Amino acid sequence: MNNMDREEQQLIRRAQNGDKRAFGKLVKNYEQLVYSFAFKICRDKEKADEVLQETFVNAYKGLKSFSGKSKFSTWLYRIVTNNCLMMHRKRSKEPVVSLDNTDFYQGTNELQIPHRGETPSDSVLNKELKKILDDAIRKLPVDYRIVFVMRDVEGLSTEEVGKALKLSTPAVKSRLHRARLFLRNELNKYFSE
Amino acid sequence: MRPHKKYLMEICSKIDLDLNSSACSKLKSHLSKCPECAAYYDSLKRTIILYKNYKVKPSKSRVKQIMARLNIDSDIGKNKNR
Repeated sequence: MNNMDREEQQLIRRAQNGDKRAFGKLVKNYEQLVYSFAFKICRDKEKADEVLQETFVNAYKGLKSFSGKSKFSTWLYRIVTNNCLMMHRKRSKEPVVSLDNTDFYQGTNELQIPHRGETPSDSVLNKELKKILDDAIRKLPVDYRIVFVMRDVEGLSTEEVGKALKLSTPAVKSRLHRARLFLRNELNKYFSE
Repeated sequence: MRPHKKYLMEICSKIDLDLNSSACSKLKSHLSKCPECAAYYDSLKRTIILYKNYKVKPSKSRVKQIMARLNIDSDIGKNKNR
């Protein structure tokens, strides 16, 4: 265990014992991680902000139940995921798409995305590209979106994703595969038009 | 031409791995001979990289609001050297 882990453990213990300043430090340490993850799922700043605040309120109320068996971040991911799911159910107008009969191959083999530096304005391309990425991931059912973001974007291991979402390893892998292939097919549709 | 159906799942399951590792030797060998599967492999990898590189701008710090909601006084971040 390195110094940072030891420091964090102490901080958590102090917060669990009622040290409010210690809890405030935990919020400061993790608010960007939570916000960033919430945004990547909700794809909306206002929703992400709401989820961020709800997550730490929930964390404060449930802090004594954190046993330390998993990483603190894994525990937080579980809370923020639940809040994202609740937000999605409450406010989402996204059509429900089933991935059960996904054709794992669609379109051309090559992803027709222009390489950076080949267009007159990279900043314009980046904004357009971001919109395309947002549109594509919004079509991905939220349960798959969460697994994809946790595993491929945030870099959690399959095991950590399973712990955070209470899913078996095969279930994580199955959702991840379908999510990747769905997104790849969606991006192909945009770029080959 | 389409990539080989039987390799689609294998490509997806090994996309995180180093293609030069022993676990990927069969796949690597196939990709070196099959341009369709190689292109599909590349397109899947690029999809993941695009999302990985999508940076989210940090939000304004919400520590004060959160602590206020919890009725907690917090001087986290305040400059104590007045």
